[in-house]
Amino acid sequence: MGNMKQDTMPVIAHLRDFDTRTGNLLERLVFNHRPLFVVLMALVTLLLGYMAVTRLEMRPSFEKMIPQSQPYIQNYLENRAALRGLGNSVRVVVENTEGDIYDPEYLEVLKQVNDELFLTAGVDRAWMKSLWSPGVRWTEVTEEGFQGGPVMPDTYSGTPADIELLRQNINRAGIVGSLVASDFKSSMLIVPLLDKDSATGQGIDYHQFSRVLEEKLRDQYEFAGGGALQADAEGSGKIKIRVIGFAKLIGDLIDGLIQVMMFFGVAVLSAFCIILLYTRCLRSTLLVIGCSLMAVVWQLGIVSWLGYAIDPYSILVPFLIFAIGVSHASQKMNGIMQDIAQGTHKLVAARYTFRRLFIAGVTALLSDAVGFAVLMLIDIPVIQELAITASIGVAVLIFTTLLTMPVALSYVGVSAKAAERALIIDAHATQHRGLGKLWDLLDLFTTPKWATGAVLVAVLLGIGGFVVSLQLKIGDLDSGAPELRKDSRYNRDNAYITSHYALSSDMFAVMIKTGPEGCLNYRTLVLADRLAWELQQHPQVQTTVSLVNAVRQITAGSFEGNPKLSSIQRNQDMLNYAAQQASVNAPELFNTDCSLMPVIAYLADHKAETLDEVVAIAERFAEDNSSEDRQFLLAAGSAGIEAATNIVVREANRTMLLYVYTAVIIFCLIAFRSWRAAVVAILPLVLTSILCEALMVYMGIGVKVATLPVIALGVGIGIDYALYLLSVQLHFQRQGLSLSAAYKNAVAFTGRVVGLVGITLAAGVITWAWSPIKFQADMGILLTFMFVWNMLGALILIPALSHFLLPAQAQMKPIPADGTVPAKRKTEAVT
Amino acid sequence: MCSFNKCVLLVLCATLTLVQGVAQAASFVDVLELPAKASALAQRSPLLDVTRAGERLVAVGQRGHILYSDDAGQSWQQAAVPVSADLNAVHFPTAELGWAVGNDGVILHSSDAGVTWNKQLDGREIGALLVRHYGALASAEPANEQWPLLVAEGERLTADGADKPFLDVWFADAKRGYAVGVFNLILATRDGGQSWTPLQDRTDNPQGLHLNAIAFTGDALYLAGEQGLLRTWDAEQERFVAIATPYQGSYFGVIGRPGEVLVYGLRGHVFHSRDGGQSWTQRDTELQVSITAGVLDDGGRYQLFTQAGHRLLASNGQTALQILPQQGQSPVAGAVLAGAGALVLVGARGARTLSAE
Repeated sequence: MGNMKQDTMPVIAHLRDFDTRTGNLLERLVFNHRPLFVVLMALVTLLLGYMAVTRLEMRPSFEKMIPQSQPYIQNYLENRAALRGLGNSVRVVVENTEGDIYDPEYLEVLKQVNDELFLTAGVDRAWMKSLWSPGVRWTEVTEEGFQGGPVMPDTYSGTPADIELLRQNINRAGIVGSLVASDFKSSMLIVPLLDKDSATGQGIDYHQFSRVLEEKLRDQYEFAGGGALQADAEGSGKIKIRVIGFAKLIGDLIDGLIQVMMFFGVAVLSAFCIILLYTRCLRSTLLVIGCSLMAVVWQLGIVSWLGYAIDPYSILVPFLIFAIGVSHASQKMNGIMQDIAQGTHKLVAARYTFRRLFIAGVTALLSDAVGFAVLMLIDIPVIQELAITASIGVAVLIFTTLLTMPVALSYVGVSAKAAERALIIDAHATQHRGLGKLWDLLDLFTTPKWATGAVLVAVLLGIGGFVVSLQLKIGDLDSGAPELRKDSRYNRDNAYITSHYALSSDMFAVMIKTGPEGCLNYRTLVLADRLAWELQQHPQVQTTVSLVNAVRQITAGSFEGNPKLSSIQRNQDMLNYAAQQASVNAPELFNTDCSLMPVIAYLADHKAETLDEVVAIAERFAEDNSSEDRQFLLAAGSAGIEAATNIVVREANRTMLLYVYTAVIIFCLIAFRSWRAAVVAILPLVLTSILCEALMVYMGIGVKVATLPVIALGVGIGIDYALYLLSVQLHFQRQGLSLSAAYKNAVAFTGRVVGLVGITLAAGVITWAWSPIKFQADMGILLTFMFVWNMLGALILIPALSHFLLPAQAQMKPIPADGTVPAKRKTEAVT
Repeated sequence: MCSFNKCVLLVLCATLTLVQGVAQAASFVDVLELPAKASALAQRSPLLDVTRAGERLVAVGQRGHILYSDDAGQSWQQAAVPVSADLNAVHFPTAELGWAVGNDGVILHSSDAGVTWNKQLDGREIGALLVRHYGALASAEPANEQWPLLVAEGERLTADGADKPFLDVWFADAKRGYAVGVFNLILATRDGGQSWTPLQDRTDNPQGLHLNAIAFTGDALYLAGEQGLLRTWDAEQERFVAIATPYQGSYFGVIGRPGEVLVYGLRGHVFHSRDGGQSWTQRDTELQVSITAGVLDDGGRYQLFTQAGHRLLASNGQTALQILPQQGQSPVAGAVLAGAGALVLVGARGARTLSAE
């Protein structure tokens, strides 16, 4: 390896022997004005650092996680304002763990919670419902007509008689299952939120709202003022406060994000340890970490300057940029170390490294960029932002890692001991000692026996993986909020509420759009009833709710509760009366001018098959029954949005794989100019992709918004390894070496780097596996798997496949002797 | 990698999405024209009445559901019904012949013990029926002021369309029967439903109160309805004549046997008469909830059921009704004695069986 470099770059021990006019324009520009360059870089870093510190904000946006141009989503977004029942509300359940709700102490706490929420900024007070709301009433048919009153007696003072009256009212009001749990151990507060705070006119700060819930309610009542030691803990006292709803979910997501940012420190520390172990040189290790952190600062600075915010997806980017930066910087350091060990002056060594590796680095970054760029094709804003911010990060790496790193090294150099050590390791390798043994082991895979074995194992793994991957599901598989872990406090609360109250949180809504007053048209109601009935036929539909339910109930009520009149009457006066009553009792079932009403199906789960089948039922109905003046529009509600997302994700998964593989194949063909070599490079990636899907099946991870970037990145970054290894191997094969010898050279030259890159990338993302945000944990696990497995696949399968596909130099196209492509430069360049 | 079955699904979804974009002029099919859909859920969905057709049980409910059971309610089959209107009541005078009535003024008939049904009448024809019948009487008796009023009533019904529900039906035999409903809607037939005759003029109901139920106690035919309305058929006068009751709330049902009659209704009210309605005893229930169904069990005792699902037993010798404990109660709209002393109840949550104690 050392020999190779000496061929092209003479050892120059003293600066006076070096001609500063050599090198390309960029090299001269940078290295002949080093102080200016360093000052410039420092200034930019300061500026962008200031930007990052002052402007960066965390803003997980629900809207950005959904595919904006999917027809269902457009229907939803167009009509969102009219969908009050599906709007933004929080459900707070106050549970008495030592008795039931007919306990004066419990009712007192409930009252305090009620008052606290009532006064919280952002709450739409007029529509808040709880046992203490005067608007929650019971009605009864009597001989004289309707009779009713508030469920909570006006004169309530906690006496047994009051409690008895409350008990009676609750039964009369029919709120068991909605406001009161079916086991009477808890009751619910339904807290609708305003879109904009009436006092400030600003959008609701969900994180702030969630913190209010935690501090003012949970800490005070569940933890009796003590405060939760852990975010996920549950109090052990008498009262438990359970909260679900979008605002709470977003609040929890932001808390999770903050925690994930802590992981960044862990990633930096582990990268530091890995590099230090590799080089045993503290100053250059610090330099590598420093340059990579600089890249992150730049990236964050530019991103926040452009007005992007950190969300649970784009937070992936700093991790990846850091890891990619570390791997490139360590290669720079590796190169300089070799030259310094040979006796070259550190500035000259830095310039040599720049010459050797700049084009190479750009090429490798380009192949990473392909992985990111392909993500732009997915019509989901968070993913597109991820693609943009990551592309910015990759561009930034050109300045920080490819330029700043060698310049900095030209000042700092590497410790003599480390340089010596690098030489010794090389020597060991050639003497089949130390790490050389490992390289020898890898070399075995070029022999017929091992190659056949490796390929056979890979084929078997591939077939097995493929069979397993057939069970790969689209979408989220667990119940509750898929963004958070199954055992998170939020999802435990959700499970409690789902099991103690009648309605699940997976709502699939079809919107019926008519002209004004159209929703109380007889035909509209009959069709809504038919749609509801069609939906109910699906076994996973627990029940349906729409204006029809209210109309039937109110009609029966106006006939003294006669069950035979629980019907939709043709008489318009009767329907008008029913709608007018419903606008008081159940205003969420239609909009103000009665031009939009949802038919809501409550689903037992949100598995992809369930959603697909429910969508199919609704689509068929919409097709058969939509007309000029009455349209049936899919889809709203959490399950409706998820169904739409699944449709987009399913499609994106396929097109994305198609594009990323096409790009990578073209890349390989250009780089290797041999289809056989391209096959050798691509097949290990295909195996990784298949096994990744099998792993997803095994771990119960579905294809979803969060896993799409992983698949693209896995392939985009994975091809790096093949480029590193195979290009060197081909170079030597083209020079006439046997496969075994060529591969041995390639491994000695780049194998270490491949190993280093694989490990640093994996170390950068593995911490995510501990993220409280479920999809981030899934991303972390899958990315780690792909980075490591791609590395192993490259080191083992490339020699094995080469044995079959690239056996002798005879099959290699000779490189033109006129030197149009400087073969050596190029092969080195690729690392 | 992508699997092919998923590809197929994708193509399907994409096609559906495309198709959805194309607006089509869908024509609305009225509930009176649309046959009821067969559904496994029908037996768990709202059912409003149940009766016996010989040994068979027949139940009717929302969306044109008619179910029949040959094993005392253990399993149900769904009948073929040409309408999907909500059905409110069913009666079989013989094991083979039966009638069901419901919303939109619909009257259905089955001659095969409830397996298939055809429509004999619907609300769109009732107005014309009145106009024709009372118009003929008006021309025959120009001096009688009642006829033009009833003709006008018929015209109003025609204008309103099919919006008057029948609430109950009773047939004496294969030929003679009655269907009753809201706002004094009452029709009679003497030819098994081939033709129907309005009976508004032969019912003492000047306020046009709702007629909630019609029932035969073995020796008398009763109509029960809104605001304490109780009428009995007077064969000599050939009209339903008023019987005074001690209550002004609504009655939802009437049952009895020769020599006695029991009416039940709003807010737990039950009255019992052993002299054809001359005098009444209130049977105490201590309930505020409406009583919506009643049946004579195989021990000859009255069992009543409420809108909240309570089961009440009238024991001889006691005026107060006894609430029988039961597991899991749900609203009851109809009850019938099935084989071996078991009771089959129908209501908002479909059909269920109460086995004999």
